[in-house]
Amino acid sequence: MSKRYVGKDMLKVDAESKVTGRAQYPSDLKFDNCLHVKIKRATYPHAILKDLDINRAKNIDGVVDIITAKDYPNLNKFGLIIKDQDVLIKMGEKMKFMGDALAIIIAETEEIALKARDKIGVEIKKLEVITDPLRAIEKDAPPIHEDLSGLCTDYLKPNLNQKNILVDHYLKKGDVKKGFTEADLIVENEYRTQHIDQLPLQNESGYALYDDKKDEIKIWAASQWLHDTQADVAQSINMSKEKIRIIQTAIGGAFGKKEDVSVHIHLALAALHTQRPVKLEYTREESMIAQSKRHPLIIKAKTGVSSNGYLTAWSVEVIGDTGAYASSGPAVVHKGMYHCTGPYNVENIEGTSYAIYTNNTYGGAMRGFGTTQMAFAYESQMDILAHKLNIDPAQFRYQNAYITGSVTPNGQKLGKSVNTKRTIESVIDLAKWEGEINK
Amino acid sequence: MRKKGRGMATIMFGFGYGEGFPDHSIAEIEITTDQKIKLRTAGADVGQGFLTTMIQIAAEVLKIDSSYIEIVGQDTHQAKNSGSTSATRQTFFSGNAVREAAEEVMGMIYHHGSIYFNSNHPELTVKDGEIYACDNKEEKISYWELAEIVKQKGDNLQAEASFFPKTYVPDEKTGQSEKNYVAYTFMTQVIDIEVDTDTGIIEVMNVYTALDVGKAINPQNVHGQIEGGTVQGLGMALMEEQVIKNGITINPDMTNYLVPSIQDIPEFESTLIENEDSDGPFGAKGIGEPTLIAACPAVANAVYDAIGVRITSLPITPEIILNSLEENNN
Repeated sequence: MSKRYVGKDMLKVDAESKVTGRAQYPSDLKFDNCLHVKIKRATYPHAILKDLDINRAKNIDGVVDIITAKDYPNLNKFGLIIKDQDVLIKMGEKMKFMGDALAIIIAETEEIALKARDKIGVEIKKLEVITDPLRAIEKDAPPIHEDLSGLCTDYLKPNLNQKNILVDHYLKKGDVKKGFTEADLIVENEYRTQHIDQLPLQNESGYALYDDKKDEIKIWAASQWLHDTQADVAQSINMSKEKIRIIQTAIGGAFGKKEDVSVHIHLALAALHTQRPVKLEYTREESMIAQSKRHPLIIKAKTGVSSNGYLTAWSVEVIGDTGAYASSGPAVVHKGMYHCTGPYNVENIEGTSYAIYTNNTYGGAMRGFGTTQMAFAYESQMDILAHKLNIDPAQFRYQNAYITGSVTPNGQKLGKSVNTKRTIESVIDLAKWEGEINK
Repeated sequence: MRKKGRGMATIMFGFGYGEGFPDHSIAEIEITTDQKIKLRTAGADVGQGFLTTMIQIAAEVLKIDSSYIEIVGQDTHQAKNSGSTSATRQTFFSGNAVREAAEEVMGMIYHHGSIYFNSNHPELTVKDGEIYACDNKEEKISYWELAEIVKQKGDNLQAEASFFPKTYVPDEKTGQSEKNYVAYTFMTQVIDIEVDTDTGIIEVMNVYTALDVGKAINPQNVHGQIEGGTVQGLGMALMEEQVIKNGITINPDMTNYLVPSIQDIPEFESTLIENEDSDGPFGAKGIGEPTLIAACPAVANAVYDAIGVRITSLPITPEIILNSLEENNN
């Protein structure tokens, strides 16, 4: 049936406001009597905080106050899935990556706040910096989070350092040994992907205001999930969820980077502390160092195929660098593994995946969420196999592709809307691909 | 020398949080007496066109021009949870919540309209914001007039809906789950490149895409996602890397962290496959993340086609191309 509004190229509702510059991004908001906030961050990727000297910074004209963990000893940790991230690093405790916050500087202008930030003295005791997940899983590697345990399954190999493993996951379908025995050709490769910044044009930015009549903190800042950010802010500063109000601004891109808390908790504390409007805006440098990354994955993929070009077995091991904090890490790496065969029928599958703590900037959500990295592996494997078998890569994909009734590596039977083959047929027409598909 | 290469990649993406995680979206629709329809959602529009999509769905169900529909509730204290704008879930989840809320309101329009016209539902026509008996087009009332009548009865033309499909937690030992994700999106892409074997520089020439979208609520925005997603994927394939050495980022700026610019953008030709066969609104599936995913392997496969070298790490920089060529020659 023909539709009047669905299926039409309606102009985006925010197109005009964005083109004319009327859209209100956080930095476009104006508050009278507003204070400026900057964050003093870690000076080393893995170190114990021995001393924090804020006196010289505090004496600068125009500095309103500097908040450290000492001022709010009862703050709770925050995080998207697991609460493992400190709002402010306490004396005697560890900074775990370069984005960790040591102090919140509040001043009359941004320039003064920056000047004060650079006058803060930090004394540390350096620890081994673990930057390679393969080092982190060695038994003698120091634990990055001493206080976290119990997240690993009982199936974890005993030779691995479970202190630095955030989560482990497993995949078992059919009989992978039998599948490889039946294979006429086996291809095995290791794939590696990199740290990527989601790089939305708009850096993390926001305002906050404490309303003493309502005992409510209002925060104007972008979030990909308002109610989740609200809940995380509320629990971290021990306020009821109803007392934290987050108002969405125009969002200048996100791509996963605006799922995590960024400016929100520090703004809430500064607003509560000063009872004046406060503003905090990250620089690009700060945004890249302190906010989430796409997880670099090491993927070992082994694929078996019969001489007539049908997949018989697939196994993967996935090692994900989740950096200093969990963020979306408990969900990303194994989502990649669950997509290890791509849209192809394979009866016999085995997989293992680990998300591993390091002292790198933490891995979080980014468009594709583990499956982007995995597609690089499985589609390279498919191409290699096609060439080795001397079958047209399009034909090889087509004859292994999912159809209605196919079963995913998770054992999910696909009952409807399985249009894999149609995408291959269509693109072959569109690109004038050499060679025909044998249906 | 410039060598041409062509690579293909077919991908799938299970969307929604899945894995038994409680995932739902709440939306509300209200026909107000001031000639507006309020669509209340807390869902974030990150530039992809989420709010536009929701308006189109509501307009379709409510049979009224989209200009009457106003988005409200972009605030934790003004709307209930819509879930995140992530996991390629908003069109499917919030889209279904909006569709359900709009259908509820449509039911109310028929209910109260049939009382007003002393008639029954099948004997009414409801369209373009007006209600009338099928056999008498002269006597009409508008949605707003009906809203006023309903208000005087102490009720509202207002409904809220929550879309809350179920998935199951995968088994800890085997990962098996009867329903791990609500649905899957598929895409195949062919990418043409040219490799300069003297400089190692790869130029992406053409991108051909066939996307299994179910139903494109807004085709232009879907094409926008294909192009934007692919270009972001090309960045990952060819140039983007935050280099962290011993815990320190050595390129935390846009001078040394390269992303595709306007000059790097190839020609696009795309086909939308619309089987209208998913459980999403009007058969739509999520496409936000899938549009990025095929670019890296399609480029790597095109590199192999062009120069016979298989690259297994990203990004595929000119240095990597030149080193691989040299290794091959030795």
